[in-house]
Amino acid sequence: MSEALVTTKDETVAPEGPVFAVENLWKVFGPKAERIPDDTALHDLSPAELRERTGCTAAVRDVSFEVNKGEVFVVMGLSGSGKSTLVRCLTRLIEPTSGRLAIDGEDVLAMDKARLRELRRRRAAMVFQHFGLLPHRSVLDNVAYGLEIQGVGKAERREKALQVIAKVGLDGLEQRKPGQLSGGQQQRVGLARALAVDPEVLLFDEPFSALDPLIRRDMQEEVVRLHREEGRTMVFITHDLSEALKLGDRIALMRDGRVVQLGTPEEIVGSPADDYVRDFVRDVARADVMSVRSAMRPAGSEEESRGAALPPHAKVSEAIEAVARSGFPVRVMDGKRCLGVVDHAGLLAVVAGTGAPVEAAAEAPGEPSGKGEVVA
Amino acid sequence: MATATASGPVRDTGIGALLRHRAVAKLLLLALAAAVLVPIVSAKWASGAWPHALTVDLTEPLGRTSDWIIDNRDSHPLFTYFFGHVSNAIVLSVRGVYLVLLAAGWAGVTVAAGLIAWRVAGVRLAVTASAAFAACGLLGMWVPTMQTLALMVVAVLASIVIGALLGLAGGLNDRVFRILRPVLDTMQVLPAYAYLLPFALIFGMGVPAAVIATVVYAAPPMARLTALGLRGADGGVLEAVTSLGATGRQRLFSARLPLAAKQLLLGVNQTIMMALSMAVIASVIGAGGLGDRVYQALSTVDVGQALAGGIPIVLLAVVLDRVTAAAGEKAGAHGQDTSALRGWRGWSVAAAVTVAAALAARFADRLEWPTDWVVNIAPSVNTAKEWMVDHLYTGVPVVGGTADWASHFTTWVLNPVRDGLQGLPWWAALLIVAALAWLIGTWQTALTAVAAMAAIGVFGVWDKSLDTLAQVLAGVAVTLVLGFAIGIAAARSTRFERLLRPVLDVFQTLPQFVYLIPVVALFGIGRAPAVAAAVVYALPAVVRITTQGLREVDAAAMESSRSLGATSWQLLRKVQLPLARPALLLALNQGVVLVLAVVVIGGLVGGGALGYDVVFGIAQGDLATGLVAGVAIVCLGLMLDRVTQPTERRVKKGA
Repeated sequence: MSEALVTTKDETVAPEGPVFAVENLWKVFGPKAERIPDDTALHDLSPAELRERTGCTAAVRDVSFEVNKGEVFVVMGLSGSGKSTLVRCLTRLIEPTSGRLAIDGEDVLAMDKARLRELRRRRAAMVFQHFGLLPHRSVLDNVAYGLEIQGVGKAERREKALQVIAKVGLDGLEQRKPGQLSGGQQQRVGLARALAVDPEVLLFDEPFSALDPLIRRDMQEEVVRLHREEGRTMVFITHDLSEALKLGDRIALMRDGRVVQLGTPEEIVGSPADDYVRDFVRDVARADVMSVRSAMRPAGSEEESRGAALPPHAKVSEAIEAVARSGFPVRVMDGKRCLGVVDHAGLLAVVAGTGAPVEAAAEAPGEPSGKGEVVA
Repeated sequence: MATATASGPVRDTGIGALLRHRAVAKLLLLALAAAVLVPIVSAKWASGAWPHALTVDLTEPLGRTSDWIIDNRDSHPLFTYFFGHVSNAIVLSVRGVYLVLLAAGWAGVTVAAGLIAWRVAGVRLAVTASAAFAACGLLGMWVPTMQTLALMVVAVLASIVIGALLGLAGGLNDRVFRILRPVLDTMQVLPAYAYLLPFALIFGMGVPAAVIATVVYAAPPMARLTALGLRGADGGVLEAVTSLGATGRQRLFSARLPLAAKQLLLGVNQTIMMALSMAVIASVIGAGGLGDRVYQALSTVDVGQALAGGIPIVLLAVVLDRVTAAAGEKAGAHGQDTSALRGWRGWSVAAAVTVAAALAARFADRLEWPTDWVVNIAPSVNTAKEWMVDHLYTGVPVVGGTADWASHFTTWVLNPVRDGLQGLPWWAALLIVAALAWLIGTWQTALTAVAAMAAIGVFGVWDKSLDTLAQVLAGVAVTLVLGFAIGIAAARSTRFERLLRPVLDVFQTLPQFVYLIPVVALFGIGRAPAVAAAVVYALPAVVRITTQGLREVDAAAMESSRSLGATSWQLLRKVQLPLARPALLLALNQGVVLVLAVVVIGGLVGGGALGYDVVFGIAQGDLATGLVAGVAIVCLGLMLDRVTQPTERRVKKGA
């Protein structure tokens, strides 16, 4: 795997190591599961063949990726693709079968029980699909639970919990029991519980799948807002493509335990790695995902100084609006430099999906993202 | 078989045909085994009765053991250093609780009962609880009530502690659970009556034996529900707790136990109810208290006295059940308590008022229930009973009398069934048991059932056991006919169910023993009253399971057949009953277990057979006879349970 180049808003910060580094990770369920990762003859079998041959199910197969500091890393796939198992492997809620796994360079698989508890207590907190709240405790005590586990005193943990409750918009509900809250409110409690321990990474396991569409959108915006405010690293599991595209800086698309493509939303939509991914992203509103770079052509000499201007990470839909309004091509400006122009022909090609596949749109400032790559 | 499927008309396809064929295969296999074995055994032992050569006389060794225990109870180290201490500890704690209750006086106890009920369950139950205790005093049963209560307090506390510890082990450790579960399941189907004798043998008659029998009988539900509660905890919550880095101990105390709170309280409720049931029956081995009053009265057919002792038992049962059930519901509700007296404040108010009441009674010198406040109901009840004997027992125009019914039931049902069973060759009985158990369950259940049945023969109580079995079968038949009819009616009419529910609630909480009182009043003594008591005891459970089973039938299936124009009779016959089959089988199983439990107690009112042997053994000090009868009851219980127990695997597949 090539070294990921990281650029943040503050250009002076030196590139850091990844938060999570996952290498050749396997999780196999079944009898004598350890032998599967080593037996290369079995690697190309389909899940059904593997089960027939060995009685084992490989939930995670030879997965490698890195999660960079401050990014939202989305793992997306349909049910049974192994994404939930994968995220549980990160804090060893499920013990991986083989592979390497490091957090901030520290080997997670080598940790003893106490060290692992420390990791779970302070460095990575998880938000669950079905909330996992303690029904007999009030909202306040649920949010403070992680701190209680750490041994923080009552007054201190309640104070901290109250702050977090306010942050997720649950003021006034502190004394309610989870059973008295709506689904969306319960998940806010789950989010607050994870935030209360101030973890380095937030792990989300399909947190909004059980919610109504409208509430889901609210919660997604809540996550976007939190990320903008705090810049916390997030690993987000979802089966919902639009959610993945909306939240993810980078997306790892999983199928049958493998990562079939890893890249920015634009790369996934703009240049699908195979037919499976292509099929997957077919109905996406491309204009909302693709940036104007993908529709850009070199500017003519006159065009460079004339017409409306858009930043390079602006979406195609914005450019369509601008072009439609003015009737002229729109300039793509990186600061004072004109990178090119987009006109109706280029925009239409993107929307229709007939344009050339996009190459690295990664170095765009303002978007922390790694270099896209195709794993499959 | 394959050709039959291929050539025959396709009437039954898929699973139905497969099951039918499997049943046929089982029966064929069994018939084959019988064809080989039966000629051999009938050539060797020609008579139909259990062959004498195959019996082992346990009476003599058991009698020797019993004599040895009686001789050495005061000298052998096993008794002086172990059982003696256990026994002393029990006597001391029961006496301690009893003295506290007496010191609190009737005023203190009545007020305390009301206040505890108030804290746990609200004002209405508080009034009920206080009234119930006052009624015990009014009936002149204050002292026996306190004796029973003292025994109960000790036995229940011990049961809860032991049960919770076992349950904790079973809930947290898979291997312990695998061992524990079948043991607990089996203990729960055994009649309470069978537990009495072993402990009477070791500890002698008296309170220690009664307390230990009660604990052994009442601890299993606590252990079972604790283990199931801990295992049933929401996996998502536990995972979330682990993901936050909780240690094992933190996980147990902050998540697993609180999540299981409802089950734990249900366990406490069941333990208390079973302890009460047993504490009353244990009067037979010297528990004293209310049960003893009823026992003594019944042995002289003094219905009035029996009722005076029985009413406090009923009241105690209802109050204890309602209060503990309310506690369980409160734990499950997760609501907010906003009253000013919540938590410790309410409890300290309650404690202060109780102490004040007790002190007031002490200074007023009114610790004991005033004798001039006692209403003696026995004479008037007995007068009423005499009137019944004269007017209802026999010669009522058209319907006949209750005694006539009883004697007809004995002549026309009980006797033929008993004679039929006893006339059956013993190997045929075993074959029938094997066939039934195998058809409903697996070969393992069939094996257990046959072994249990054979053990009865080996212990030399074949005929007596078949007598008891005949009573059970007759009782179960009546119970099922009545139970299914009432259950179907209740499932079809919501209004009827609403009327029925409080009646069932009360009846299901009553100890087995008290059912004997009304049947003796109505039918006199004999086998028929014993069966009648068993039917009344088993009926509520059967009705309830039937109603629930019919009501829980998939609404979509009902709706779709209604949309096809099915009549309500067709609906019942073609949809509800087949879909409710698992529930109906469960009702059968429960019916059998419950009927047996009371039929053997019927030995106290002339039921004869095994139940009588137990009483006789106790009364005559002939523990060997009693013990053998007890073992036979256990075997009968095992056999009946296995024969009617559909395996879980099948139930899952079918459902």
